[in-house]
Amino acid sequence: MTMTEFVISTIVKILVVLGIFSALAGFGTYLERKVLAFMQRRLGPMHVGPYGLLQVLADGIKLFTKEDIVPQNSIRPIFMIAPVIGAATAFIALAAVPLFPEFEIFGITVHPIISDVNVGVLFVLGVMASGLYAPLLAGMASANKWGLLGAARTVIQLLSYEVVTGLSIMAPLMMVGSLSLIDINNYQSGGIGDWIVWSQPVAFVLFLIAGFAETNRTPFDLLEHEAEIVSGYATEYSGMRWGMFFIGEYTNMITMAFLASIIFLGGFNDLGFIPGGLAIVLKVSFLFFFFLWTRAAWPHIRPDQLMWLCWKVLLPLAVINVVITGLVLMI
Amino acid sequence: MSLEQFKDRNVTQNYKFIPVDKPPVAPLDKFKQALKRTFKGELFVGLWVVFREMVRFNIHTVQYPKEKLPISPRYRAVHKLYRLLESGYERCIGCGLCEKICIANCIRMDTRYDENQRKEVTEYTINLGRCIFCGYCAEVCPELAIVHGGRYENASEQRAHFVLRDDILTPLDFLKEGKQEEFPGFGAVSPNADERIKKTPLAY
Amino acid sequence: MFEAIAFYTFSAVTIAMFTITVMSKNALYAMSALAAGMIMISGFFFLLDADFLGVVQIIVYTGAVMAFYAFGMMFFNTTRLVKENIRAPKLVFLLSGMSALLLVVALVAPIVSDHIEPFYPVVEGVENPQAVGIVLFTKYLVPFELAAVMLLVAMIAGIILAGKKMDESLTLKVDGEDEFQNKGSK
Repeated sequence: MTMTEFVISTIVKILVVLGIFSALAGFGTYLERKVLAFMQRRLGPMHVGPYGLLQVLADGIKLFTKEDIVPQNSIRPIFMIAPVIGAATAFIALAAVPLFPEFEIFGITVHPIISDVNVGVLFVLGVMASGLYAPLLAGMASANKWGLLGAARTVIQLLSYEVVTGLSIMAPLMMVGSLSLIDINNYQSGGIGDWIVWSQPVAFVLFLIAGFAETNRTPFDLLEHEAEIVSGYATEYSGMRWGMFFIGEYTNMITMAFLASIIFLGGFNDLGFIPGGLAIVLKVSFLFFFFLWTRAAWPHIRPDQLMWLCWKVLLPLAVINVVITGLVLMI
Repeated sequence: MSLEQFKDRNVTQNYKFIPVDKPPVAPLDKFKQALKRTFKGELFVGLWVVFREMVRFNIHTVQYPKEKLPISPRYRAVHKLYRLLESGYERCIGCGLCEKICIANCIRMDTRYDENQRKEVTEYTINLGRCIFCGYCAEVCPELAIVHGGRYENASEQRAHFVLRDDILTPLDFLKEGKQEEFPGFGAVSPNADERIKKTPLAY
Repeated sequence: MFEAIAFYTFSAVTIAMFTITVMSKNALYAMSALAAGMIMISGFFFLLDADFLGVVQIIVYTGAVMAFYAFGMMFFNTTRLVKENIRAPKLVFLLSGMSALLLVVALVAPIVSDHIEPFYPVVEGVENPQAVGIVLFTKYLVPFELAAVMLLVAMIAGIILAGKKMDESLTLKVDGEDEFQNKGSK
């Protein structure tokens, strides 16, 4: 492949991923509202379009045309750049995720991954972690006490759960012996029995829990917990800047679902009669649904409970898991 | 949904007392509690409950502008002015009791004697922007001319729309179709009024 | 060509960011610029095909600078300017400039020399993380273990410093509840 071809194909991939995933993030809000509504015996959005399908469009128009307010005592440049960090890092993280198996279109073999970094897992997790700078900077720059509290919670949440994520995927990585997501996927190519979730159930649960914390989803939704700190870091935001945080959050959820299904649930290998591309879409949809499901079912926890859970329960479990895996691999 | 359940006042409450244990203090007890909660699967019970509700699809949403819940006849919403059934004249005799009793001072009326030396109401306005919907006017009216209806959606572009007499007066063609029902609202005589009348005790 | 463009962009942005870090009087600007600069540095690692180090740079400095933010939040009102008390600005600038220059000269000097031989040259067919691991557990074993011990000591010290009142929960107030319940029972 020549340089020009490489550049053109990469740019096309970037545009496709950007387009599809920002649309999916919007559609994710619709799904979330519908699923939550059904679980709470409501109907959810119904009026805009058939079954409320165009609600996303209406929300988008509203967000784009709303006034972009920057509060008086805030630090203007940082206040304005924070949501961009949130959305941008979410998409950058997607760059190293192999989304589908290779396929051919118009006679060209397409690798559906923008950049095959050979330390893919670490790259995705690292960039997603730096995405938490968005709420941090937003909260600190908006000269608002609720925002500051939200920012403080971002710090404690990131610093603790970053460790758990890293340690929990350490054990599967030790088994595979590579940090590349494609290698991890190929390791599980032998059908359902080969899925890493069967040999590393503890790591899977830990990874999911930490994933909830990193994507700021409900049981650990402390950054913008309405009942406690109004809207947390997003209190002063309005219009599209506010919307960008949520595009980032939903994209992060999808990325997390992709990561979990590639590392633990067999990735995009063929599943019996189901082709690999469909299999991973099913897995990711289920995990996305699980994100919404827990939001309907489980209550928030307090920040001190969050810390307790992380340092006194999850971290020891993760370390023990790594040690046991190491012993088993050595013997 | 029928009105019966609104009218039933003999509701028995089945409150159930849930015993709450004291939180554990000793570290070992705390650990045991955490362990028990982890493996007892309480979290999965929560997941199952919401999933069950989703599958059952027992939706309680009322899609408001399209569907409306029935409203109790005792509800006090925007007033109605009634007409006499036979002649179609207004029932209001211009006695002015409602104007007097109105505690929000929102009823104004203007009367004159017509050629038959009967009182005729020329103007009658209720300023719904001031009205607190207490129901005194309907209660005090001797002729059942003003009652409370069930129309609770009163939003408008102009304040002037909140005082129009034509909106609350029964239209003539409506009356001719026999659609003016006698007991729809607050202030009117209840349908079983005859049964409830008792003799005045005169034995004193 | 792309590499040259990327290199010069990254270096310009990095230098600009660290200049802001040093010059700005606002704590929030300084910290944000520091974080941005640290993440930009990872770009150089990626350009040199050292993916692992680049990613580690991102992960480590995301967390580390985040801890700075926590301190900034506790010590300053980050939306206000910090009043700095510099007594002899010329002397400070001269000394720090000289030492910076010395550092650059000391580190850049080997480029001029022809007699550089790498002790641990890049082995063909060994991936990035493995290469880092090999160096870490052979040549730099002692510093690596020392660093680990130091971190452990720091962690234990931190736990002891912070853990004196760890048993008292700020939110649960078990004792207070008991008092209340006792009063109620009397």
